[in-house]
Amino acid sequence: MPEIRLKNVTKRFGKFVAVDNLNLDIESNAFITLLGPSGCGKTTTLRMIAGLETPTEGSISIGDQVVFDAEKGINLPPNKRDVGFLFQNYALWPHMTVYQNIAFGLENLKWDKKRIRQRADELLHMLHIEAFENRYPSELSGGQQQRVAIARTLAPGPKVLFMDEPLSNLDAKLRMEMRTELKRLHKDTDSTFVYVTHDQLEAMTLSTKICIMNGGVLQQYAPPLTMYNAPANLFVADFMGNPTMNFIDCKVKAEGDRAELSFGDVGCVFHAKGEIRLKGDTCVLGVRPEFVRIGGEGHPATVYSTLPAGMETTVKLNVGDNLLTAVVFGDVDYPADSQVHFSFTDRAILFDREDGGKSAAEGTVKLL
Amino acid sequence: MKKILALILALSLLVLAVPGLADVGEDVAAGEKLTHDELVEKALAESGTFVVYGNTSRIATAAEEFAALYNITTESNNLKDQEIYTKLRSETGSTAADMVMIQDGAQLTDAIDEGLVINFVPASVVDALDEADRQPALVHQFINKLFIYNNLGENVPAIRNVWELTDPAMKGNIIFKNPESEKVNMNFLVMLTSDTWAGKLAEAYKSWKGEDIDLGEYKNAGYKWVAEFLDNVTFGKSDTTIAEEVSQETAAGKIGLFVLSKLRSSSVLTENLTVAQYDATEKAYTVEPFAGFMYPMYTMINAKATRPYTGMLFIEYLMTQEGFQPWGKSIGAYSPNPAIQVNEGDLTIDVWKNTLVMEDAAYILENFEVEDFILQHCQN
Amino acid sequence: MNMLRVKGRVRGWFSRPANVILLIFFVTLVFLTLYPLLSLLTETVTIHTGREARAAKEAAGTVSLYHFQRLFATAENDYSWIQFYQPFLNTLTVSLSSSLIAIAFGGVVAFLVTRTNLRYKKFISAVFTFPYIMPAWTLALFWETFFKNVNIGLKTSNGIMASVFHFFMPEWFVYGAFPIALVLGLHYAPFAYILIGGILRNMDANLEEAATILKTKRARIIWRITLPIVKPAMLSTFLLVFASSMSAYSVPVFLGSPVRYYVLSTKMKSLMDSYPGQAYIIVGVMILFGVAILLLNQRVTNSRKQFTTVTGKSGQISRINLGKANRPVALLLVIILLMVAVVPLVTFAMESVIVKAGDYSPANMTLDFWIGTNLDQRLDQGDSTGILLNPKVWNALGFSLGLAVTCALVAGTSGILVGYGVAKRRGSRLADMVNSLSFFPYLMPSLAFGAIYLSMSSSFPWLRGFLLLALVGSVKYLPFASRSGVNAMLQLSGEIEEAAVITGVPWWKRMLRVIFPIQKSTFLSGYLLPLVSCMRELSLFVLLVPTSNTILTTMLMQYSEKGWAQFGNAINLLIIVVVLLINFIVNKLTGASIDKGVGG
Repeated sequence: MPEIRLKNVTKRFGKFVAVDNLNLDIESNAFITLLGPSGCGKTTTLRMIAGLETPTEGSISIGDQVVFDAEKGINLPPNKRDVGFLFQNYALWPHMTVYQNIAFGLENLKWDKKRIRQRADELLHMLHIEAFENRYPSELSGGQQQRVAIARTLAPGPKVLFMDEPLSNLDAKLRMEMRTELKRLHKDTDSTFVYVTHDQLEAMTLSTKICIMNGGVLQQYAPPLTMYNAPANLFVADFMGNPTMNFIDCKVKAEGDRAELSFGDVGCVFHAKGEIRLKGDTCVLGVRPEFVRIGGEGHPATVYSTLPAGMETTVKLNVGDNLLTAVVFGDVDYPADSQVHFSFTDRAILFDREDGGKSAAEGTVKLL
Repeated sequence: MKKILALILALSLLVLAVPGLADVGEDVAAGEKLTHDELVEKALAESGTFVVYGNTSRIATAAEEFAALYNITTESNNLKDQEIYTKLRSETGSTAADMVMIQDGAQLTDAIDEGLVINFVPASVVDALDEADRQPALVHQFINKLFIYNNLGENVPAIRNVWELTDPAMKGNIIFKNPESEKVNMNFLVMLTSDTWAGKLAEAYKSWKGEDIDLGEYKNAGYKWVAEFLDNVTFGKSDTTIAEEVSQETAAGKIGLFVLSKLRSSSVLTENLTVAQYDATEKAYTVEPFAGFMYPMYTMINAKATRPYTGMLFIEYLMTQEGFQPWGKSIGAYSPNPAIQVNEGDLTIDVWKNTLVMEDAAYILENFEVEDFILQHCQN
Repeated sequence: MNMLRVKGRVRGWFSRPANVILLIFFVTLVFLTLYPLLSLLTETVTIHTGREARAAKEAAGTVSLYHFQRLFATAENDYSWIQFYQPFLNTLTVSLSSSLIAIAFGGVVAFLVTRTNLRYKKFISAVFTFPYIMPAWTLALFWETFFKNVNIGLKTSNGIMASVFHFFMPEWFVYGAFPIALVLGLHYAPFAYILIGGILRNMDANLEEAATILKTKRARIIWRITLPIVKPAMLSTFLLVFASSMSAYSVPVFLGSPVRYYVLSTKMKSLMDSYPGQAYIIVGVMILFGVAILLLNQRVTNSRKQFTTVTGKSGQISRINLGKANRPVALLLVIILLMVAVVPLVTFAMESVIVKAGDYSPANMTLDFWIGTNLDQRLDQGDSTGILLNPKVWNALGFSLGLAVTCALVAGTSGILVGYGVAKRRGSRLADMVNSLSFFPYLMPSLAFGAIYLSMSSSFPWLRGFLLLALVGSVKYLPFASRSGVNAMLQLSGEIEEAAVITGVPWWKRMLRVIFPIQKSTFLSGYLLPLVSCMRELSLFVLLVPTSNTILTTMLMQYSEKGWAQFGNAINLLIIVVVLLINFIVNKLTGASIDKGVGG
């Protein structure tokens, strides 16, 4: 199984730096997601690994083969890298039928007709598109086109599969369905998947590891839950999770693994797992909405709005100048402008704005 | 019921009568009897711009001088003969031509029969002209196209007999205008198949080869000459181009059949050219049996003219020495009016009539199928 | 259904501006295109006066199939072969080859410009449309004067190639099928460049990348992926070039006649003189061919293989690196373009200042043909003054400009309206018919189109002079305008207009204030193309030009027919400069360009 290794990879378009000194090791058989807002360099990274884009600096290897090295002048064309690529808009050839689209790559490998037929049938069956074999892409729905594109990409059995936002053109329901299939596909094909998306939920649910990028710079590279629970900085914390984490600017008095925080007329105490590394006397308290409890003891707050979704309800609360988000299990309706009490129940993270928003400590927080 | 029928009849008569509001034919008939002064008076009574079409560029000069002489707003247009016929058929109203100067007797005869144009012979010249030069159409001038060759190099094609032009060695050395693109050239070739010219050609053949002509597949000597001549010919775009090209220093050995008056052009290297007939006259022989051909340029009144009297006055003017001057000032144009003398150095019209193939509209119209034969030999 | 409902429906139908527009254009276009076609058909079975009546031995006006029998089945003197079959084969050869040349040359350059890192791209794409902007005869004339020599054609004089470089081109290179096809191909190559380039530019680069990933060789990608995708554009080009080449007149006259190479259009012209019935049959044959290709074109573009133009992240497309080949290829292109677009201009300038042909020494040069006076006395040829001092020339220039502007305004505006109607009612039968009708004039050979309108005009006494010219020009150039109109409207989402409808903006205001500004440059291009084409049009107008007001092109033709080469060359240069200037100014001021006009 190949392992993909990026060393000091930089890509510049003129003066614009798309990817800045990226180092990344992708273990074999992993399902890696490159995550980030649009323009963060994730697609460029993917295209560089695939060979569709030439890095300005650095080196890339797939397995034990160096496919690119700026200094040594190595640059293997994409067709020599033994990879598969699934495009955002599927890029199905409009003038070929579904079958021809799938068979095209196999013809390039000089497979004999019988074998091509066999492999195509296998894929048609696997992706439930047997019925459309003789149709042209323009005669298929978006979901069907997506399946054809996957079949085409999988046909030669690539050991590494790159996917560039493959689900973004599908409607929500289909997207859910395809996610399941992709995860299953990853298991069945035994390949390494590198997946680009800007949808954190997709990244969370699919990947073994997420690589989150911003402005061409790697922010954090970790398994999804680590990333969710222990984000490396404000950007990552903000990007992961929906509804997003509450960020409360606080005044802080820290001592060892304990800190007293205050915002508005609210005071609370934070117990860290280790030492708190703060540069000044302010910090950002990050609390996931599911750790904000409504009802019982606590500090008064005013309900700003309630968004019931059936399984859970998101409640926005006005606390002084802060707008906090809480998630309550089940459907509970709080009338707007009604008075409630809230409290923090569990985990929280401190971020240090003065240190570029880096995580300063993980721990728990309680109202005073 | 009868009333309605009568009404319809009257209305339809009215509609039919509309195009012929003014009967130009009657005007022309009346005009032929008028004296010069009466004609002037009638012409000046007409209004609007007087419009003239002609397929000779010098009509512009003539029209300008005419306009100045009588203070009549005049507009002249130099068009190809075919364009003139097309316009005569389709144009009506005051912007259409009142008078045309046109060539190709065969087509003109058809146009007269069709009622497109009306012949007008001014009283001033009616007695001076031969019948043939005023009926069925008034001839303003004769124009000749002559064998003219490049006089440089070793192989100067100073021909004495037109059969020399049929020699396979002459292939590519003869330049002529495509008979399809200008009909007077076609008419010339058709004339050669007539009994008269076929006879002369047969004689000429004998004097050239010293033996009787073997016609082979051809109907007569005319057909044979036309076919073999055309096989050797290259077609030029216009007479001016042909004159220019044959006169080039690089064109030794070339001979053209084109309008004599082109020798006046500044772009033609006249010193490199020799007119076969001039040379022959000088050396006291003739080009057997013809040194080229000659065709008339006619003047006619448009049957739809809105200023017919001005048209007639202009024709009268054109037939005078003064009116002929734009053409007469240089060689290659010959008035049928005996009062107008030919240029010095040029041969007289009578000499030309005897040495050139003349156009006979009646013969051409009767034998138009010959054109198919000619076309066949215009092809590769 | 009760009356009230019917009434309501009718009123509803008419309340949509698109319907009203389509209906008006349908009626107008039926009259302006089908009526001529009908009258053409009538002419083919009518015996005309004069020569025709004599030959057919029938009275003028008789309805007869004589012309067909004569043109298609007369063996005597090889008549049918000479007048129809041989020219027909020649037309096919020339039109097919010129289409292929245009597609190959324009397509390759389009590919190089859009898909590779070729040098001098800016220059190449700027100059590439020149040959189309210039009149087609320009290149033909240049070809002849440049390559002629004493071994071929008239065999009388040497052009620049022979006299300066001592290189004597063979006859097939200078005259006949090859140069005609080449010149027409080069003239229309911009169509291919614009249409194919448009698709290549908008084509999703992922389509090719997907193939690369699947280990497809470069050549195979071009052959199996790129070419099939640009196929519709290639077919459109084929249609446009084939139809135009078929009816081209001046180029075959210049380059064919010297070696007796005739095509249908030249035969049509000479037959029109004596045997109009047969000439109209030839026109009919040309139209039939055009329609056949049009139908083929529609079948292909409407097939199931049509592609959805979802563009992916093509912005990131990596251009093919031409490497060492870059400079030679770029230089070759630049040289070809200079030869085709710039050298002719220099040649015309040269030829307009020399007195005796072929002598390029300073002693033989004069500016008389531009600014001289009393020329008829001194040169005994041509006009009395140089063209810039000749009021007739300025008159003609003014008339040409007036005509071109009028045609452009009428055709361009109609094009926008047709585009609006067709786009709004897309798929409806009426819209389809108006769309096809508005393209039909393209398939009518210009010369014949003019001839038919001339004969039509005799039934409408008010239709003459400027009005007639403007009408013919507007109808003939409508196809380009309506194409760009339809394109512009299809790119515009319906919601933009609907947003204005909701707020109660009246229709004309929506057009003027909302729709036009958004697609301004495409719409203006719909005006530009007729403007440019009209300025350099000859065959369409040659029969219709009122003698009192000549246009520049007919003036040029008269001069060159009389052999007044210097005046002709000077006027030719004047036309080209004016046309290029108009194109340049309009382009700079409004952003409209020929590219967008053709529908790229």
